[in-house]
Amino acid sequence: MTPLHDTDPKEFIASFFTSFTQELLASDEDAAVIVDRFHTSDIVQIADGHRIDRDKLIAHARPVRKNRPGIRMEVHEALADGDRIAARYTLHATQRGKDLATEVHFFGHFTADGRMRRAHMATRTVPAHDSSEKGSA
Amino acid sequence: MTEAGYTVTGMVCAHCAASVIEEIKRIPGVSSVTVDIDSGRVVVASNSPLDVMDVRSAVEEAGYELTT
Repeated sequence: MTPLHDTDPKEFIASFFTSFTQELLASDEDAAVIVDRFHTSDIVQIADGHRIDRDKLIAHARPVRKNRPGIRMEVHEALADGDRIAARYTLHATQRGKDLATEVHFFGHFTADGRMRRAHMATRTVPAHDSSEKGSA
Repeated sequence: MTEAGYTVTGMVCAHCAASVIEEIKRIPGVSSVTVDIDSGRVVVASNSPLDVMDVRSAVEEAGYELTT
């Protein structure tokens, strides 16, 4: 894990999501152990109104490992304030033979050692082969 | 027309739901599939009753797990 305060916020948020996925795909290590390496035990993410807690993150490791997505983070902007980060990024993913691109507006709260404690995300699907900058303010 | 409900674990977003719907809709006779991401509840409408093993296989093909 990368400590938040030592890292450029754009690099931090990109590294967080790519590293988490890569670790899930790199071995058969217990998904709960990997989830706990990247999140606090009381993690709550709210994504488009859907609540995702530790148990749901662990359960989601199964489809991630089955579908083995290739992901790339394109961070458009990120701001850090203490242990919080606000970022706008596009998550590019290839899985099940499809290219997907999701623009995400993210507010997150992290521990000093870089684990996610809280996150709120509003997302929208954007054209996979286009820049998410189009249509943005 | 018949309708059956199932519980699927591992879905957290619309892309997850779309994958599950896509695979279940491949089962012959399925006319509609609705998903509640938060509860994991999946309701499948079909022309005739489905074999749960077919539904389980479809869900697993998408990468998810049918629990009930």
